[in-house]
Amino acid sequence: MTTAMQRPPLVRSSDRMIAGVCSGLADHLGWPVKYIRLGMVLASFAGGAGLAFYAWLWVMVPTADENARRNSRRPASPIAPAVSMPPSVSMPPDTTAPDAGAQPLPLSTPAPVFAPWFRMRRIQYGKEILLGAGLLLVAAILIARQFGVEVPLGTLIPAAAILGGAAIAWMQLDETRRAGLVDKTKADQAGGWVRLAAGLALVVAGVLVMVSGSGSWEQTWLALLASIAVLGGVALVLLPWGLKFWKDLETERAARVRETERAEIAAHLHDSVLQTLALIQRRAGSEQDVVRLARAQERELRTWLYRDAAKDAGLLAERIAAAAAEVEDAHGHAVDVVSVGDAAMTDRHEALVLAAREAMHNAARHGGGAVSVYLESSDTGSEVFVRDRGPGFDPDAVPEDRLGVKESIIGRMKRHGGTAVINSSSGGTEVRLKLPVENADKAENRNGDAKA
Amino acid sequence: MSALSEQVARTVRVVIVDDHAIFRSGLKADLDSRIDVVGEAGTVEQAIAVIAQVQPEVVLLDVHLPGGLGGGGREVISASSALRGSTSFLALSVSDAAEDVVAVIRAGARGYVTKTISGPEISDAVIRVADGDAVFSPRLAGFVLDAFGTSPAEIADDELDRLSARELEVMRLIARGYSYKEVAKELFISIKTVETHVSAVLRKLQLSSRHELTKWAAERRLL
Repeated sequence: MTTAMQRPPLVRSSDRMIAGVCSGLADHLGWPVKYIRLGMVLASFAGGAGLAFYAWLWVMVPTADENARRNSRRPASPIAPAVSMPPSVSMPPDTTAPDAGAQPLPLSTPAPVFAPWFRMRRIQYGKEILLGAGLLLVAAILIARQFGVEVPLGTLIPAAAILGGAAIAWMQLDETRRAGLVDKTKADQAGGWVRLAAGLALVVAGVLVMVSGSGSWEQTWLALLASIAVLGGVALVLLPWGLKFWKDLETERAARVRETERAEIAAHLHDSVLQTLALIQRRAGSEQDVVRLARAQERELRTWLYRDAAKDAGLLAERIAAAAAEVEDAHGHAVDVVSVGDAAMTDRHEALVLAAREAMHNAARHGGGAVSVYLESSDTGSEVFVRDRGPGFDPDAVPEDRLGVKESIIGRMKRHGGTAVINSSSGGTEVRLKLPVENADKAENRNGDAKA
Repeated sequence: MSALSEQVARTVRVVIVDDHAIFRSGLKADLDSRIDVVGEAGTVEQAIAVIAQVQPEVVLLDVHLPGGLGGGGREVISASSALRGSTSFLALSVSDAAEDVVAVIRAGARGYVTKTISGPEISDAVIRVADGDAVFSPRLAGFVLDAFGTSPAEIADDELDRLSARELEVMRLIARGYSYKEVAKELFISIKTVETHVSAVLRKLQLSSRHELTKWAAERRLL
């Protein structure tokens, strides 16, 4: 932990004997896992120190998964990247394992207020140094005992245990939360401090009684009573805070979800509807522009509102609708598409879409007014009808050099085994495109031709 | 679009039901002199009360309405069933969702048009509905074809569940954007015959017990 940052993070390995502590430690330190395990076992015979160390690491060190989740979540605060905490150097991974889920939830408001306070107290690796000093002290006491020096263990051990427990509990909280906590304790000072003091007193008394008790039944009963009192005290201290934390967490989570949704909708409306409304106001004089903008916006909003994620965008109906939208944008005439059935896209269907698009372009350009498009797909084939209400024209009178109708519509359909019929009268023009289904081998040939 | 010149003399009494006042006034201005707007309503409750009070010939009814039990236009039609013989409903909607359209037609509306329809077109549609005929927009015709299938009925048994070959032809032409007159010309039949076919399709749409119809509409969220 107190080593250079280049080392792999201390996480519990998935390659495990018991809990992956030893292999994780070995990875982190770069030592062979064999020695670590051996050392752990040997240490276990030294008054159970190895066992205690192992258990401690088990509890405190996150698994690789947890660690990854935490690290990946931390920078990904979608709403307020500014308040999400950068990974802190002095925050060892082993202090936050049970807290992993709550980690990326900064209490945004108190953070800036308390930042200087914490910065002042923040010494690099401060916690580790403290911990090391404590362990050294314990070692010194043990050694002193070996040499026959009288140490008042009866009072030291419980005191150390309590201090250690408090320290650990305190370390569980990340900084912003600590700040929030201090803030809240101040907010209701009288009650908060009384509860805290009472709880601590009970904890101290209980542990003292238990540790100093002898083996007799009477004493054990007393000890039991005392431990109940301890538990009561701990509960008294932690319950209101726990509840408050939980509530804060829930509120904040819900608020964040709402905020995310709202932000997404707001962003979409801003990019689309508000822009269009602004454009419409500026172009209010031109009726055609207004209609075009309104149509395009309506289409876009409809797609956004009702978009069906399950629907494959690669299907024929979708492509015809997209072509209609393109023509609508280009010419400012409404192009209404009605489709019945659908078909998968192939090279031939691609040709059908292109021919239909050309027909729609012509209808919008020469026809004037609304264009009706009808697509019907069934087992026998696909048909597209493009109809306008323009003055009509004589298809035979179209000059040879005009490739629009001859090449892009009729020729293209013929090449792909379909037909195109143009029916024009004074009441309007209708282009009928028909693409029958081909059997498999013929379709192969056609595809080959098309590519050649 | 219509051969209704002989009916210009009479006026049709209409109630407009839509929750947007701007749309109501715009629609009122768009309707021509053959139509007399005798009432307006903005919610389900208002609509039921106004319709019962003025007993119009035609109600222009928005599919989506606030109030009531949340049933919108469908609820208004059901609540006004006492007037079924004298009052017809024409559904107006900005929604293209098949579910909404089919629901309101099955509740008893005589037709369905989108809100982007032009003034003369909607006036013609109102007159047509007042005469007891059905009004199908291209989109509604598309829904019908999608729901009933595009192959004609062969046996008389499933008469309600299938469209006849002629009805299919009429629906296809309407879906292609043809007016009734143009359909009549294309098929060499009279407008009256076209109207008969459309009314028959409407009846099938309303009465068919084909459970697929409802299921289809529910699955089909938007065309």
